[in-house]
This record gives sequence, C-alpha cells and structure tokens, in this order.
Amino acid sequence: MDAMNQTAALGRAVQGDDDAFAMLVQQHSRRVFQLAFRMTRNEQDAEDIVQESFLRAYRQLGSFQARADFGTWLYRIVANCAVDLMRTRHHRVRRQTDAIDDDTPAAHDQTPERLARSAEARRLVESALSDLSALERAAFTLRHHEGRSIEEVCRILDLGQSAAKHAVFRAVRKLRVTLAPLRLPHGPHS
Amino acid sequence: MTDHLPFHVSADELTLHYYGESSQPAQVSRHLDACPACAATFNDIAATLALVEAPVPERGDHYGLEVWQRLRPELPARRPLGGATWRAALAVAAALALSIGTFVAGRSWPAAGAGSPAPAAPVVAVASGDRARVAAISDHLERSERLLVDLTNGQAPGPIAQASVADLVDDNRLYREAAMEAGDADVAGVLDDLERALLDIVHAPSTLTPDELAVVRTRLDAANLLFKIRILSMEMRDRDTMPAAPRKTT
Repeated sequence: MDAMNQTAALGRAVQGDDDAFAMLVQQHSRRVFQLAFRMTRNEQDAEDIVQESFLRAYRQLGSFQARADFGTWLYRIVANCAVDLMRTRHHRVRRQTDAIDDDTPAAHDQTPERLARSAEARRLVESALSDLSALERAAFTLRHHEGRSIEEVCRILDLGQSAAKHAVFRAVRKLRVTLAPLRLPHGPHS
Repeated sequence: MTDHLPFHVSADELTLHYYGESSQPAQVSRHLDACPACAATFNDIAATLALVEAPVPERGDHYGLEVWQRLRPELPARRPLGGATWRAALAVAAALALSIGTFVAGRSWPAAGAGSPAPAAPVVAVASGDRARVAAISDHLERSERLLVDLTNGQAPGPIAQASVADLVDDNRLYREAAMEAGDADVAGVLDDLERALLDIVHAPSTLTPDELAVVRTRLDAANLLFKIRILSMEMRDRDTMPAAPRKTT
C-alpha cells in the first residue's frame, strides 16, 4: 500500500469503515509483530501484543485525526501494550531460551558472533534484557533493533529527549555489566 | 569547536557515537584513534551490543490477513462517524472541557491557603529526603494508576471513590511542588498532567453517561497519561532501589 492509499484507508477507517481498518492491519501486522517480539523476546507474548495493539488502535482511531504519522502513533500503542505486558510478566518471565539445546562448544574459542548463538550466551543475554526496566527495554529496542533515532524514540514513547537518551544509556550500561563475562578481551574495533 | 577533544569521551557519548548520533562525530573518531582507553570502551560497547542481536521469527505473506481474521470478532461495535455523530461527540467533549475549565478557574480547586488542612503523610515524606519523596511519589502513582485503569475499563467512580480522588488531588499537588523544587521537571510534568485528569474525575464521573465516560476515556488515551504514569512509576521504583552510580572516569 503506498502512502496515498494508506492516507485514504486511514481516513475511511477513522470514519468507521472496517474494511479500511482491515487494510491497515494487514499492512502493519508484520512490523508490529517484529517490534513486539523484539521488546518481549517471546513469540506468544508478541502475538498477544499484536492483537491488543490493533484492538486499542481501533478503539482510539477517533483520537488519531490530528496526528501526522500513523506508524509513530501505532508504534506508541505497541510500546504501551508491551510495557503493560512486561510489567505483568515481571515475576514470571517466559523465556524461549529454556528450550535451547545446550549443544554448543565452550566459549573461549568462539568469535562474538558464534558466542551470541550459543545456548549459554543466549540465556545470559535474555536474562540481561529481562533485567532492564520496561522503559529502558522499550527505548533500547527502538534505538538498537529498530534503528530509530533518539528523536523518533522520543516521539514514539512520548518522552523528552533527555529521558529517551538516558533510558538508552542506562540500558547499555546495564548490558555491559551483565554481559561482561561473554565479551572477549579485544572487540571488533581494536 | 576544536579539532581535538582534550578529555576522555564518556561512555554515554560513545554510545551515541556507536549509533551515529554523536554531536561531534569527527572529533570523537579522531579521539578514538588517539586514545587507547576510549577506544577500549568503545570496543566494549560495540562488543556488548553485538551480543544482543537476535533473529525475529518469520511471519508469512498472509500474516496480516491471519491477524485481521483473529481480530475481527473481537472488535467492539463502532458506528460510522458521520457528521452528526462526530459533531455530537465533539460537543460532549467541549462541554466537559468547559466544566473542567470552570472548576480549575477556582470554584472548587482545593485551596492552598491556611484554611486547607494539608495531608500529613506527603509532607512527612517530602521532608524525609529524596529517597522518601521518590517512594511516596511511587506509591501515589500506583494508587492513581489503579483509579485510571478502573476508569478506562468503564468503571465510573462513585461518590466514595470521588472523595478518595480528591485526596489524591491534594497529595498530587504537594508531590508536584516537591518535584519542581527538586528540579525534577519530568516528574513534575507528568504529575501536572495527572492532576488535570484527577480533577476531571473529581467533578465529572458520578453523573457521566456511558457516552460521556467514553469521551473521558478517549481524552485519557489521547493524552497517553496511563502510559506516562506507568513509565514514571517504574522509573521511581528504579530510583528507589538502585544504589547511586559511581562517576564515570573513562
């Protein structure tokens, strides 16, 4: 769907046209799933977020009119849903890595890329990510995995620039501490 | 701006540089070439971030259709927003906003003067230091969040709940002022938004029709207030539990 068709579909959806809303759902579902998965690292949680995000978007379409960018608006809803879910999951994190076969060689002779694929490394990475606060996780996912600029992170999370930057900084600091055992003495830029 | 950075570059600035968002990219690059300590920190950041990459499970070409088919039965009934219906909704919103504006203008605002008894707990909490203030605000945000969640779920507060909301308004004002005095603009901003929403609730809910309640919910959604409160609440809990970070010396 090109930008003109999306604008038209959006206009019709706001006016109550469910077929137009269906077009928007079909256009954005994969991106929404991608973001939701990256924030939760859990497939079922990501599916739940996809469903809940579009439900919220449907209910809130009336408030969309003055907004310029549907994607940013939708991403904000997705981030909101993910934060809600991560909060409820806080004490019972479901990690996909529980099912990973521990069949990888010892870490000392691996490159960073191979380490990242090892079961032990992945468990530690998942643990490190789950230790981030919901805001840190959301800001870090948008900046690191989604490639959004800090300015875009601000808009999506409805934060000031300083708050968005510091959420990313805190996330990186925590990851550096937690993942220190996985890093080789010399990184790729040395 | 000079060509050389005479001091070490902070890890946060190096994080921005890694993402291509440094305000001085050329100078940072030159500094990294000349400073082994900063180059080591940068490499450490890069190596850490390389570890958190993970593949996203594939979704097929028909995934969007599958989502829509699951979603469609769940969608609430929604009348087409023709001109008359939309104008009616706007009129309700405008009337509500006007009533709130009248209230805020002074008729019923909880007075700050001598005749108004200040709640004891917030005053003690603020006076007990920053950590106590943070803990008290965190608790206040959780109580406010529970109220807003009930409202967004369609439960209009009755008269008893309204009285407790009025208490929340009083507490909120104290916390907002304390945050402003502490120079915590982000906290003060969210509390300011929250105060407006609480005032909406104190004065409107017991007589709201379902349509009017829907308008209030839409306004809360539009302001993204619940999300802001949850984020701030989590931040407050973080502040309350995390030890002070040591200064970076890189």
